[in-house]
Amino acid sequence: VKTFVEVNGRVREVELVERLGELVVTLDGRPIEVSYEEVDPFGQVILLHGGEGFALSIEGNGQSTAVTLAGHRYDCTLEDERERAANLAARAAAKGGGPVKAVMPGVVLQLLVAPGDEVEEGQPLLILEAMKMQNEIAAPAAGKVKKLTAQPGMAVEARQPLCVITPQA
Amino acid sequence: MFDRILIANRGEIALRVIRTAREMGIECVAVYSEPDARALHTRMAHVAVPLGGRTPAESYLDQDKIIDAALRTGAKAIHPGYGFLSERAGFARRVQEAGLVWIGPPASAIEAMGDKIDSRRAMVKAGVPCVPGLTDPVDDPAAASRAAHEIGFPICIKASAGGGGKGIRVVREPGDLGSAFRAASSEALASFGDGRMYLEKFLDEPRHVEVQVLGDRHGDVLHLGERECSVQRRHQKLIEECPSPVVDGATRARMGAAAVAAARAVGYHSAGTVEFLWSRGEFYFLEMNTRLQVEHPVTEMITGIDLVREQIRIAAGEHLGYGQDDVRPRGHSIEVRVNAENPFQGFLPSTGTISNLRIPGGPWTRLDSAMYRGMEVGLAYDPMLAKLIVWAPDRAQAIARMVRAIQETNVGGVHTGLPAALQVLLHPAFARGEFDTHFLEGLTIQSPEQYSDLVAVAAAIHRHRLARRRALSPKDSARAGWSARTRNELTGHVQRAGSQEVSQ
Repeated sequence: VKTFVEVNGRVREVELVERLGELVVTLDGRPIEVSYEEVDPFGQVILLHGGEGFALSIEGNGQSTAVTLAGHRYDCTLEDERERAANLAARAAAKGGGPVKAVMPGVVLQLLVAPGDEVEEGQPLLILEAMKMQNEIAAPAAGKVKKLTAQPGMAVEARQPLCVITPQA
Repeated sequence: MFDRILIANRGEIALRVIRTAREMGIECVAVYSEPDARALHTRMAHVAVPLGGRTPAESYLDQDKIIDAALRTGAKAIHPGYGFLSERAGFARRVQEAGLVWIGPPASAIEAMGDKIDSRRAMVKAGVPCVPGLTDPVDDPAAASRAAHEIGFPICIKASAGGGGKGIRVVREPGDLGSAFRAASSEALASFGDGRMYLEKFLDEPRHVEVQVLGDRHGDVLHLGERECSVQRRHQKLIEECPSPVVDGATRARMGAAAVAAARAVGYHSAGTVEFLWSRGEFYFLEMNTRLQVEHPVTEMITGIDLVREQIRIAAGEHLGYGQDDVRPRGHSIEVRVNAENPFQGFLPSTGTISNLRIPGGPWTRLDSAMYRGMEVGLAYDPMLAKLIVWAPDRAQAIARMVRAIQETNVGGVHTGLPAALQVLLHPAFARGEFDTHFLEGLTIQSPEQYSDLVAVAAAIHRHRLARRRALSPKDSARAGWSARTRNELTGHVQRAGSQEVSQ
């Protein structure tokens, strides 16, 4: 099985082959000697590599996984070949514009733009309040506000679309 | 001494107060909201009283419910912790009118220090150094603009009735003043019901240094040294330490005397904190927090004084029983706040269910925590989950100890600020003690590249294991269908989405 793992802004290709009950691992085409041992079923793991053991904490659902090693946390995004192809196509279609989503759950306090407005990259679109802090949600790219789904007073979940920007030609 | 007290708070601070009270032989009454029904503080108190309600306003801020709970359970006093009702003078009065003791400062002192403008006037009168700025609040952008030009840029806008970093904005360019003023004023209006703002000169290379004071009801007031709280972001602290690497003995004595003068000026008793802004060797009064501070443990660690115990003793009318010369600080202490926030995405709040918890331990390592496996972290309450505190004979050893303790810790299910704290602690400028309140904002939080390969491999194997476990899980519909087929029971158990289970 080939898995594309994005860590620290770079995608690595990890191939796992189960051979006689042992996992044979290839990283970016090169074989890598590792042994993965679960200490408990909750996410405590020991990874043996190069004669050393690394105590890891791992949580996640397989698509987005957090690995913590010696206090350093790595947020990984994982895709198999099929998911990677689908996600690449979706990203290409959006071309930097597309829906602006809520980065956290909260309440829409105030809209700062209206449909049809021309916006600059980084221009605040609306104010989202969470944990009593007001956060400005900025335009990811320059373009035109196509649609505003957010309304003042509306409670939103994380990743809920708030606004659609049509990127500048 | 009281035989039973009520703790009108939640989270780690409720637990902190319960722990000391239990050690003093005092029974504890915890109160809790619906989402906190399983919280640690309800389980570690002698009695837990449900307040009902999901929001803070319906529970921890409902004065009637809390006073009623105290009277019904026979509690003799109320400890408010920090936040919630801790700095509401009206509540302090109502507690006393109900025949209960308020474990905190006099209501009049809370009032005097609660308003930034009034407190500033009182401090100027008491000879405590203050930052150049307005003595009267303004409520419209035009007046703010006129005042700002008199004081000079950069300028700091603060809510008249503020706290906790809310309703504070810094403006560097005159052109930004209008929008910043409107945003801060509306935030203050929403949070505190008062949109009046106070303007003051913004100082360069500022450090946040605060002094712990302690006074009894018999007129004895002393200070327990300073805390350095400059590692913060948007006025929310991340790392605190004691003593400050920039304060020498002579300055400590001057700051301590100013803090004691500030406390005396408002007739203070109980534990309190006088916050100073430190800029290039000079210090200026910012505000006084008339409550126990989140970061009080670093002072406890170097003085050996249990501040909650002192608060309870003072409330019961006891004398402090020691003087300024008896306070002998020793060594160095550091605290790191474990907040549910994502340091890789601008410290945005993070929500989830606590899992995969790995708790640090070892010599001189203290964890004041409300976390437990399965705890839901939502947006209704403060994001602070725990505080990690260490002590060592000197600063370098304390830093090394905190790094070690963070490396032992894991909090799964949410993001925390711990990787950011680790990066700060490992930073050469932090080691030299050269940092100000902008230090954290200037850092890009990153995890070292050296482990990325191993991490990628581990994540891929984890995904592989998850997929295999899912395939073997008896709950999984695929597995159910497969095993049913092998038993020739296909018509029997297979449940399809949207349909009722078919029984044989």
